[in-house]
Amino acid sequence: MADLERYNDYAEALEMLDDDMRFEYLLDLAKKNKDKPFPSEAMDDAHLMHGCMSKVWITHEERDGRHYFQGVSDAAIVNGLVTMMTDSFSGLTREELAEITLDHVRRLNLGALTTQRQVGMMAMLKHLQKLAGARPMPAQGAA
Amino acid sequence: MTDAAVDFGRNALDVEAVRADFPILSRDVYGKPLVFLDSGASAQKPRQVLDAITRFYEQDYANVHRGAHYLSGVATDAYEGTRDTVAAFLNAPSREEIVFTRNVTEAINLVANSFGGLLAEGDEVVISEMEHHANIVPWQLLRERRGIVLKIAPVTDEGVLDLDAFERLLTGRTKLVSITHCSNVLGTVVPARRVAEIAKARGIRVMFDGAQAVVHGPVDVQDIGCDFYAFTGHKLYGPTGIGVLWARAEILEAMPPWQGGGDMIDTVTFEKTTFAAPPQRFEAGTPPIAQAVGLGAAIDYVGGLGQERIAAHEAALRDHAMDELGRIEGVRLIGTAPDKAAIVSFVLDGVHSLDVATILDRQGVAVRVGHHCAEPLMARMGVNSTVRASMAVYNTHAEIEALAAGIRKAKDILG
Repeated sequence: MADLERYNDYAEALEMLDDDMRFEYLLDLAKKNKDKPFPSEAMDDAHLMHGCMSKVWITHEERDGRHYFQGVSDAAIVNGLVTMMTDSFSGLTREELAEITLDHVRRLNLGALTTQRQVGMMAMLKHLQKLAGARPMPAQGAA
Repeated sequence: MTDAAVDFGRNALDVEAVRADFPILSRDVYGKPLVFLDSGASAQKPRQVLDAITRFYEQDYANVHRGAHYLSGVATDAYEGTRDTVAAFLNAPSREEIVFTRNVTEAINLVANSFGGLLAEGDEVVISEMEHHANIVPWQLLRERRGIVLKIAPVTDEGVLDLDAFERLLTGRTKLVSITHCSNVLGTVVPARRVAEIAKARGIRVMFDGAQAVVHGPVDVQDIGCDFYAFTGHKLYGPTGIGVLWARAEILEAMPPWQGGGDMIDTVTFEKTTFAAPPQRFEAGTPPIAQAVGLGAAIDYVGGLGQERIAAHEAALRDHAMDELGRIEGVRLIGTAPDKAAIVSFVLDGVHSLDVATILDRQGVAVRVGHHCAEPLMARMGVNSTVRASMAVYNTHAEIEALAAGIRKAKDILG
């Protein structure tokens, strides 16, 4: 079973907040993330997550079979979401990442911020899983 | 400024009475009153439209045309009645020139596929820099199919169509000019009559994308002098799923069918099919019947309020919004054409448009954010995205103030 300590911290913190406070919590996360250095050379097309209304860059690194992510966005609120997602699910193995589902995203209770955000977070989760090879794409069949 | 302070004279629109017609406007979001400033994407629907659709389904519904029974006749009358309503709405010379489509996108695709099929390699189509993707992509697809040349008329920094540059683009090979009548991002109203005059003097066909324009003021296709005009129902307080292509009868006559199926044929054998005359030739399959009824009700509703009165009300809202937003430090208005509909796009220095829109949303203020399906225009204006507030007949001056207050709040939180 995956150690989801960071994720559980976020989920518990958010559980105690009302919608307005959840929103402020995200903005706080965004501000903290802004102060953390994100390698400027990684803000390129190769690290861009496509399909977002704002730009999201995510780096991925594998150390000793565990996967580590760092992310940033040019929009503040999305920056908060990226921080939460990359922080929550860093340090997991490929198999553990593959077990993360929509239910984990739902438990963060951010759906109330608009369902579009929940869709965005789901896309982010899939992106992390893809980077780690946790959900390998179906093999391209030879013609 | 308050509503009472805005005096249009005795004929001023009674906004509170209008608002009472729109049930959705009385709901709240996040415990706050809804301030709906996204009508440019899709307008809310008045009770009159909702009732007409419900009544139609409850009392008069059946498939149209060729049904040898009472209800089919009633439904056909209702559906075809909207064709008359639309013809009058656009001042079209004939009801046979009104083709029902799903929306403007489908109308333009119809022209690009049918009229476009008559074009030869090297023939030119001219659009502008401020087109919605719906008036770009069908021509790019045609370029791939037929080898036409797509030319782009520039806009100025204010977002005004550069008429001189436009005129210089026209050549002996130009077969069609297809331009928005009103930009969905900038609100710029294009001088349609002048554009048509320039093109027609060279024998070039002219189409206008009227998706935004018909909402903000009367449109008379004969006065404009164009050949095609397209608009959609859902931005005009009508239902989704119904749009209109108007085209001159002789042009429609010469155009081949695009989609094939029922309702658009004359006779069918396995060897050969002959096609119905326009407009049926372009309405394959069961049409959007109830949606047509809803569109008819929407046009009647707008007509009842008076398009001139609506335009005056929206002009006051636009001026108020431009003034209020222009006074917020850090706000840059994108699109400052002198002739401009009640569509106000802006960016806030140092703050992502998505964040501005999200903070506004939390205040109950619904706006649109992004490239608004006009990425080339974003590039031209030097921005990645904008926040767009688009106003409608039911908006109030207090709502403009709520928008401005929300932007100030976004600036405080994120600036």
